[in-house]
Amino acid sequence: MEKRIVFGLRVCTWVWLLMLLLTTLTYAIGERGLSGLAISLGVLGIALLKGHLVGAWFMGLNQVRGLWRWPVTLWLLIPGGLIGTAFILAS
Amino acid sequence: MSVAIPSIHHETVERYPPGDLAVWIFILAELLVFALFFTAYAFARMQDVALFNEFQQYLDRRSAFINTLALITGSYFVVRAVAAIRDDDRRACVRWLLASLVMGVLFLVVKSVEYAHHYEQGVTMSTNTFYMFYLSLTFFHFMHVIMGMVILAAVAWKAQQGRYSAQQHTGVESGASYWHMVDLVWLILFPLVYVMH
Repeated sequence: MEKRIVFGLRVCTWVWLLMLLLTTLTYAIGERGLSGLAISLGVLGIALLKGHLVGAWFMGLNQVRGLWRWPVTLWLLIPGGLIGTAFILAS
Repeated sequence: MSVAIPSIHHETVERYPPGDLAVWIFILAELLVFALFFTAYAFARMQDVALFNEFQQYLDRRSAFINTLALITGSYFVVRAVAAIRDDDRRACVRWLLASLVMGVLFLVVKSVEYAHHYEQGVTMSTNTFYMFYLSLTFFHFMHVIMGMVILAAVAWKAQQGRYSAQQHTGVESGASYWHMVDLVWLILFPLVYVMH
């Protein structure tokens, strides 16, 4: 995984750059004071996507077959779903 | 540990994640605790949305942003360290691990300055429910960053001693997995506590 080159850079480097970009987007949303249910769920979605990228590409779980491929994804989806539900109920 | 299974795409697919399986059990236990913490925060917020929204505005979002970049970058450096040792390049592995440790130090310094600011303002866990969650969640994570740095430092020292190679580097993968877990937790903590309202 780490050595595969796409457009002149390793895939893990692209993933890192994408996560920096998504983090900057989250920060910009916070700095602009954007709020509301849709914004909160969007920010949560970005966080879950970043978590998936860490699990799949940094932890190397996209190279794993079977049961061990899923714990991080489940960890993201179950609390993520509960957090989303709590924000929906609070709105 | 690494039981390779050839896939239909001719890439190596493993049956187990990189590193020691015991470390992964530990990582999953840690993730479970943080998941409970996050869920408790979200449902506690439901009881008093106005209070959580008000006091969230007093947090230093810029510091949290810098810390997020530091942890993501530290995680990336660790990925490069694992790639280096798989290529039997021990010197590069040590360099990437030390670079990751620098990111860890940056995180600790920025977070400590943030805590000092709260301390000056007289903020404690008893101030209100929001600060109780904020301080306990972030400090619990802070301790994990320190733990991760101790592990990475030990791995770097062993790599420097020549105790890892392209054939035997489970320790590097285990340390890397723990460090990624620390990053993973912060990726949820940052938007949840500092941004979402």
